Amino acid sequence: MTVPSQRNGQTLLDPGMDLTLRPMRYPDFYEQYRAAIRNTWTVEEVDLAADVSDLAKLTPGEFHLVKRLVAFFATGDTIVANNLVLNLYKHVNAPEARLYLSRQLFEEAVHVQFYLTLLDTYLPDHEDRAEAFAAIEHIPSIKEKGDFCFRWIDSIDGLDRLDTAADRRSFLLNLICFAACIEGLFFYGAFAYVYWLRSRGLLDGLATGTNWVFRDESMHMNFAFSVIETVRREEPELFDDALTAEVTRMLEEAVDCEANFAEDVCGEGLSGMNTGDMRRYLEYVADQRLARLGMPARFGSANPFDFMALQDVQELTNFFERRVSAYQVAVSGQVSLDEDF
Amino acid sequence: MAITTVRTTGDPETAEAAPALHTHIRLAAEGLPDTDPARVVRAVESGRAPGATAVEDLELAVRASAALIGADPQYSRLAARLLARLIRDEVLAGGLRTFSESVAQGHRLGLHNDALAALAGANAAAFDSLVGDEADEADDRFGYFGLRTVYDRYLLRHPTTRKVIETPQWFLLRVAAGLSSGVDEAAELYGLTSRLAYLPSSPTLFNSGTAHPQLSSCFLLDSPRDELDAIYGRYTDIARLSKFAGGIGVSWTRVRSRGSLIKGTNGRSNGIVPWLRTLDASVAAVNQGGRRKGAACVYLEPWHADIDEFLELRDNTGDEAQRTHNLNLAVWVPDEFMRRVEADAEWSLFDPKDVPDLTDLWGERFDAAYAAAEAAGLAKRSVPARTLYARMMRTLAQTGNGWMTFKDAANRACNQTAREGNVVHLSNLCTEILEVTDDETTAVCNLGSVNLSEHVADGEVDFAALSRTVRTAVKFLDRTIDRSYYPTDAAGGSNRKWRPVGLGVMGLADVFFKLRLPFDSPEAKELSTRIAEEIALTAYETSAALAEELGRHPSYADTRAADGVLHVDHFPRAAVTQPARWDALRKTVARTGLRNSLLIAIAPTATIAAIAGSAECIEPVVSNVFKRETLSGEFLQVNPYLIADLKRLGRWDEATRGALLSSEGSVQDFGWLPEELKSLYRTAWELPQKALIELAAARTPFIDQSQSLNLFMAAPTIGKLSSMYAYAWRQGLKTTYYLRSRPATRIQQTTVAAAAPVSLVEPSRFTPDEAVACSLENPEVCEACQ
Repeated sequence: MTVPSQRNGQTLLDPGMDLTLRPMRYPDFYEQYRAAIRNTWTVEEVDLAADVSDLAKLTPGEFHLVKRLVAFFATGDTIVANNLVLNLYKHVNAPEARLYLSRQLFEEAVHVQFYLTLLDTYLPDHEDRAEAFAAIEHIPSIKEKGDFCFRWIDSIDGLDRLDTAADRRSFLLNLICFAACIEGLFFYGAFAYVYWLRSRGLLDGLATGTNWVFRDESMHMNFAFSVIETVRREEPELFDDALTAEVTRMLEEAVDCEANFAEDVCGEGLSGMNTGDMRRYLEYVADQRLARLGMPARFGSANPFDFMALQDVQELTNFFERRVSAYQVAVSGQVSLDEDF
Repeated sequence: MAITTVRTTGDPETAEAAPALHTHIRLAAEGLPDTDPARVVRAVESGRAPGATAVEDLELAVRASAALIGADPQYSRLAARLLARLIRDEVLAGGLRTFSESVAQGHRLGLHNDALAALAGANAAAFDSLVGDEADEADDRFGYFGLRTVYDRYLLRHPTTRKVIETPQWFLLRVAAGLSSGVDEAAELYGLTSRLAYLPSSPTLFNSGTAHPQLSSCFLLDSPRDELDAIYGRYTDIARLSKFAGGIGVSWTRVRSRGSLIKGTNGRSNGIVPWLRTLDASVAAVNQGGRRKGAACVYLEPWHADIDEFLELRDNTGDEAQRTHNLNLAVWVPDEFMRRVEADAEWSLFDPKDVPDLTDLWGERFDAAYAAAEAAGLAKRSVPARTLYARMMRTLAQTGNGWMTFKDAANRACNQTAREGNVVHLSNLCTEILEVTDDETTAVCNLGSVNLSEHVADGEVDFAALSRTVRTAVKFLDRTIDRSYYPTDAAGGSNRKWRPVGLGVMGLADVFFKLRLPFDSPEAKELSTRIAEEIALTAYETSAALAEELGRHPSYADTRAADGVLHVDHFPRAAVTQPARWDALRKTVARTGLRNSLLIAIAPTATIAAIAGSAECIEPVVSNVFKRETLSGEFLQVNPYLIADLKRLGRWDEATRGALLSSEGSVQDFGWLPEELKSLYRTAWELPQKALIELAAARTPFIDQSQSLNLFMAAPTIGKLSSMYAYAWRQGLKTTYYLRSRPATRIQQTTVAAAAPVSLVEPSRFTPDEAVACSLENPEVCEACQ
């Protein structure tokens, strides 16, 4: 990968509102923006008809799990969107990176809309609905996750400019928190529940939409990691042992938080899904995030969820079954009758 | 006695699951040396909920085994065996011990029809002995995906308890008996289906022998006439046909375009889009009893002035009031359009109200009428043909929809179009059926597919066995016409008049793997064509024999066959290898006529190929490792031939498994793999699409209807697509099906190790150059090369 040229020694986190797109300093950010555009999907494409009849088949434990999940998603995506606007957009000073963030913001909005639609569909009772939407206030396991997020949002809330190394480390911790802990761990935990349901043939609509959300979220995480990489290249001195120690502690805390959520979600345990396995899975994912950040593994756990291996494999759907989600949005070129194909 | 197991992490714990389950798992793993039953036991122990029942434990064991299929394909068999036990336990718990008991109970519950109940009741012992001791062996032919699909969707269930009341073998026997007059006939068909050598289409599998035996797969409806009542009448027809598991093709070409004057009100028409929105909603409302979703494809000819809006119906952007997310779209393209594309000429768009006959014409008569309408100044507007063609290509790339189907090729060789007024106006939901329709005639087709994979013996295709299979298959497809319930008179009438059937194939890719022929090799093309010829010849011979025994189909006099011309005769360059047998056939047909106006159609076979565990119809494999998403959940599919080769090479290990997942099932970057294996195991994305088109073109003379031909392009551009579809047209293909492309971005892999940060590779890039660069830089995490 090419090292972006720095304009007059300017780095990505230098304060300001850079407006110059050409010459482009970080063309790979722009490419990520374009790739995201090609994967546009809309909530209307998700067919929830079968879900409603599936809901009636769920055991009370399973239904409890579904309610908790959807409540978390709806809140979680809103938090991510807020942090993006209030913290990230301000400090990532390259117009091509801000293009990506704008696109990400749109995607977060679609996700919120999707889970809003789900909650409205799954919970016809208005009181249930209100309770689910207020999850962050009175469901302790979700509140705990919310508190974790807000702590890291608040940590840089007062920063208008990233002038000192300490400011920049605070910013990095916020970014890493959102990439590695919220999108990269909380959401990955939630996705595992959805895929567990799907591995049993339940809630097709939830799974389809979540699949698309998952695809988007993993790209967001990837973008955040590429921002972190860029900063590391430009200012390697920011990445010291103290940062590693702090990130590791952050991930430990995130794993605990999510494991507490798992206890709430799984209750006494469901067939093929329980707190113990979920914790091992979270530890495994956390180690992956650390590896991605070039930091040593903390947990050394193996992935207990074989069904998650399925998420790494390309999909093939026939239209009688599900909608095919693999199509691209932007296509270019002109008619020609003698190209190779 | 409690069994002690050691978990992957943590201390030894005392297992609580019944020891019987452990025994089941160990017994089921017999003969599967590459499975580790202890691993499944551990997963069950770790995953079981407190107080789980024996059935829940068994179900957990099934899923735990299935989740390991990626580690070794033998886990598929293990999971299938455990599931077979679960099904048998469920049936036994319902008090059913034999096939005849199952039918008797089903009949009491209103599930089975009287005829089947009478037949099974009168011959209980004979039927029961067909599925006696051999049932275990027959069940063992299923892979997990196949058996799971059968269990979740095909086995009849008790209406209130929702427990299955038939085993997989009783199900196949029920289907066979539902099409038979006696035990011997049923045994003949069951003999094929229990070996998975042939399977009827899903509607037949769902409904044969039941109280609603709607056995047909496809219905083709003519465009509604350009008036309100006719349009609403079509909605009703479509809903009725859809209700019992039929797929719908409907043309909309006769309906006036936007801006057209409505005489009765002196208003202007809003065109076809609002009507199609209503159709969209109607199709979504009918869900085929929960077993599969209703589905329809709308056909439009590209001279219709609403063609632009039509092509946007599936877009994700724009006004939702102009979108139909449930409808499939196909364009019914006359040759004249493609000629104008080639010549870079203008193309005129018309309001069908001004040119009402155009949709009823094809070939030279269409060309003349079209030119005359242009000369008369009737066109609403004109566009460069290439502009519209580019728009069509964009729709294919963006939605996979907007299938290119060729009106003139579809009509030219069709056996039903010998007489004026008999016109093929559209194809069906899967673009393999080509039959005439008109306002009062709904075309119908009954389908079934030969599993070619089961017709390979001693390193070659067993043509004698293939021929035997085809004889039985055609006999029962013909029988299906008489046993089927028709939801509308327009459908029943036409089916009894033309008696068309569609015999297809599945597992062609398996044959190539077994014989080690690369998909694009000359030998593969020759063999594939030879197979198509053998099937066509035998099918026609059988239909002639049936005509002699039971009479020719009532409209035989209106067919090209009655004029002495068989489908193959329209193709002077057909690769005929058995000219004497064709001559004999022509003589026979001249004497006997045919029982069926059409016999061959290659359907996509998605679900029945899953049941049979074979590759879909005539398709190459999409990947050597992929998952299938279905209403039953997700399932990992691994190419068993590749893994057998890797095991032979001593390379089926953790590293290769990881690399195969990372590369999304491609082996092209496995430097250590011998070139001939790399060539053999190219995926659909890696094969030249020209080869797929040429294979299809070579078999076209032997396909009297058409074939569901998917084309694959990972990173489509307008230039490549326009070249590809122009080539398909020039090669004389009648229809094409989906354009398959890949997601522009995809999920970050969870179970493949994260990349080291220094070599961090950006997510999907979809220009081919970048994809290459990316894979060279870091094949382990490249997302673009999936």
